[in-house]
Amino acid sequence: MKIAYFPGCSLHSTGAEFDVSTRKVCEAMDVQLCEVKDWTCCGSSPAHQCDELMSVALPARILALTTETEGLREVCAPCASCYSRLKFAQDRLGDPKWRADIEAVVGRSCPDDIGVYNMLDLVSDKVGLEAVAAHVVKPLAGLKVACYYGCLLTRPPKIVGGANHENPSVMESIMETIGAESLDWNLKTFCCGAGFALTKTEVVLELTRKVLADAVAVGAEAIVVACPLCHANLDGRQEQINTAFGADFHVPIFYFTQLMGMAFGIAPGQLAIGKHLTDVSAFLKERALL
Amino acid sequence: MKIITDKNGARDPGLAEEIRARCGENVYLCYQCRKCAAGCPNRLFMDSTPTELMRYVQLGMAEEAMKGNTIWYCLSCHTCSARCPQDIDIPHVVDALRIIVQEKKIKTDTGDAALLNRLWMAMLRLGRMYEMGLAGLMNILSGHPFKDARLAAKMIRKGKIKLLPTIRKPLEIHRMFKRARSLKK
Repeated sequence: MKIAYFPGCSLHSTGAEFDVSTRKVCEAMDVQLCEVKDWTCCGSSPAHQCDELMSVALPARILALTTETEGLREVCAPCASCYSRLKFAQDRLGDPKWRADIEAVVGRSCPDDIGVYNMLDLVSDKVGLEAVAAHVVKPLAGLKVACYYGCLLTRPPKIVGGANHENPSVMESIMETIGAESLDWNLKTFCCGAGFALTKTEVVLELTRKVLADAVAVGAEAIVVACPLCHANLDGRQEQINTAFGADFHVPIFYFTQLMGMAFGIAPGQLAIGKHLTDVSAFLKERALL
Repeated sequence: MKIITDKNGARDPGLAEEIRARCGENVYLCYQCRKCAAGCPNRLFMDSTPTELMRYVQLGMAEEAMKGNTIWYCLSCHTCSARCPQDIDIPHVVDALRIIVQEKKIKTDTGDAALLNRLWMAMLRLGRMYEMGLAGLMNILSGHPFKDARLAAKMIRKGKIKLLPTIRKPLEIHRMFKRARSLKK
């Protein structure tokens, strides 16, 4: 299978682990990712907060470039924010008035019928769990994980069309397919504070603390994520949270693609496991994954 | 319960219509069920709940709507809009209010949000976001030069943040901004 690939800015920097592990598991599953040539920033949250037209024109440009990527009609955007912006652009392109303005700004014809997938969709719908199961050589038996979705992968449901936005379960199904045990918990679609990290950091510390505490309370050994901002906040802010709240969190935070890769028998080093800010080496040793 | 009298600031009877013209959302549909307020993860940081914000817009209470901190503490997480029984896209209304404040340069404390938006949109012209430069400029211009210094050092050590920008199609992005500006006029 061939699909266009829009990594976005985060996957080339703070979320490099997601990019590396996505490419590795796709290679293993025979999914060929064709990176969209000359892709640019989707605008993310700041754009929709200050310039509505640009906030949909920037991602619409990516939709236009997708068709120029070997004529593909489907694109995978692993970053939750990029994915959300592509879906919003697509929604606005369905409105003739918006479409005229967006195409005038982009200067290209922008299709509104490109299939937009995040990595969870790609794995569960396009590849299929049976095919995933066939690649598992090292099941993560007994590993207790809390699957964390955050906001934009499932909301707003009328834009992203996710099934059961209050209690999604696609990541749980993937985790069970690779042998892990996914736990029931309360905050799987709670917000981590997202882009407030650069402005109102106290919000990120408070919301992220709640997410970590709830996962630990149900006995999670690790939290599994599918968004680079969730990862940056949950993985990167634990030390600050411990200082600010007198807590003692050392929770390993993995991209679901990293755990898939390990279950596929790919060496942790090839899945960018060493880039974690909250150390995971003790955890991996204990689980005999190193 | 909050009791509001006419003493609280000037009214703008056209506010709800302005919001509708800008983003298409009809705030008059809100019947104050408070589901949005109940689910908002950031409620505790806000001066007013999202429910109260909808009421302010209905009543044209521009000052309360735009000078309170609520619109700047909205995370755009869409918990409220996903649950709204009247299907109002509340974060879209919040964005419209934020855009009015920024366009009309209304003086209010945005908690550095307006600064981040300005820097972001300026740096976007490089093509791809230059996080190191963005965070550095944010720190300097917001007056917290050493914010997250330890975290940043760790990230650089782990190769999680690029020291140099990646430039892609800056002219094309520049032209997009130009065309968008002329369309808005």
